[in-house]
Amino acid sequence: MIRTPLRYHRPRTPDEASALLVEHRGDVAVLGGGTQLLPQMNRDQVHVGHLVDLRGLGLRRIEVTDDQVVVEALVTYADVLLSRDLSRAAPHLRRVAHGVTGGRQIRNTGTLAGSACFAMPGSDMPAALVGIDAILRLHGPDGAREVRAADFYVDAFTTVLRPGEFVLAITIPRTAARTGYCKVKHSSGSWPIATATARRLDGSATVTLGSVHATPLHVDVSDLASNGPVDRAALADRVRSALPAPWTDVLAPGDYRARIAGVVAARAFSELEGVPA
Amino acid sequence: MTIQETPSPPSLPEEVEEVPGREITLTVNGRPRRVRIEDRQLLVEVVRGQLGLIGTKVGCYNGDCGACTLQVDGEIRKSCLVLAASADGAELTTIEGVGGPDGALDEIQQAFWDNDAFQCGFCLPGHLFATRDLLDADDDPSEQDVRDALVGNLCRCTGYVNLVKAALDAAQRRRTTGTADRRSIEEEGPRPADACTLHRGPRP
Repeated sequence: MIRTPLRYHRPRTPDEASALLVEHRGDVAVLGGGTQLLPQMNRDQVHVGHLVDLRGLGLRRIEVTDDQVVVEALVTYADVLLSRDLSRAAPHLRRVAHGVTGGRQIRNTGTLAGSACFAMPGSDMPAALVGIDAILRLHGPDGAREVRAADFYVDAFTTVLRPGEFVLAITIPRTAARTGYCKVKHSSGSWPIATATARRLDGSATVTLGSVHATPLHVDVSDLASNGPVDRAALADRVRSALPAPWTDVLAPGDYRARIAGVVAARAFSELEGVPA
Repeated sequence: MTIQETPSPPSLPEEVEEVPGREITLTVNGRPRRVRIEDRQLLVEVVRGQLGLIGTKVGCYNGDCGACTLQVDGEIRKSCLVLAASADGAELTTIEGVGGPDGALDEIQQAFWDNDAFQCGFCLPGHLFATRDLLDADDDPSEQDVRDALVGNLCRCTGYVNLVKAALDAAQRRRTTGTADRRSIEEEGPRPADACTLHRGPRP
């Protein structure tokens, strides 16, 4: 039982939602899928007097056009897995959604945008979105604005969202890029210890690491891929030197994450390039 | 024996803080219900408390164990992760709504019974719903598919071997009796078992 009284709001328009978030500033949270927020409230770790549920705004569509994929705020992992259009247009999202922990029940409940906003270092979404150049479409009291996922994360559990702002949708540009993903976790039911999104487009090669740093760690390795596959030894060195302060939490110490980060990056490229690590 | 007079309770202060609440409408196991809830209540609390359907269990309150699994608008969900107010208007199926009207077990339940697939039974609603969810999408799952489909449910009696056996047996029974839902799975479409990268090689 959530111990403190709570008032539930279900606004009908984005403006109404922003107004509620401003009105109850400091004592309010946005309810998306609820998989993170509700247990924390139930454990008395988060105290807010007001919840703004986005359900009244719809926001459950996946829209695929010639140049982009739009994933609205309440799209769940299961929605992503069930969308054939999205599988073709943004296969990386589907790849990441596969490995989300907690079973079908969680994939029917958790939202990609919610995970993006929660900004938990040891989770899939933040780094995966940075890795594919996603853009977050925000709505706030001053209207809409767009922020690149790469600019969205300030620190662990902290984003650039201002009071009254919330995410309306995630936009992923359609490109000819190829991607690969690797995630290491202790067991089928645990949070990631390290993730890597490898991406190659024309001459560029990048890897974005998640769970190993407070915020997603984006590393350009284009110069290591001039003659075909990315040079694995140089990749490991590059990743290690890009990681001066690895993330530590109850699941794994930072030095362990730092040690496996290079391997995880290499495996993501192996998936992309179809060559053994 | 003398009966002591109960002292009258201290009078409540004038301004009792009102706990926000509302009335919501649900369809529960096919029956329309209007329920008075507090805004802070989780769906599992309303299902067990106000609706009295205690087949749905409270395990971890953290989305880990799956004991509170039920169906919301046809999708299996962990009801400790759903705010009741947010479920207003939803159609719920709890474990009480799964068997026949006379209390008869459905094929999956019967397979669980015959395979000794539970000991204390606390995790049972979740395992039954997760199995049903898998078999509705895939009438001939592999053992790995079953394991992946059950990954969101914990059994503290650790009866996983028989749980997997029972789920495979249930699939077999459904195919034999022709009650399997042969919903075609598109070539490119997802497989319910695509749940866990741990057990699977990379998917290019």
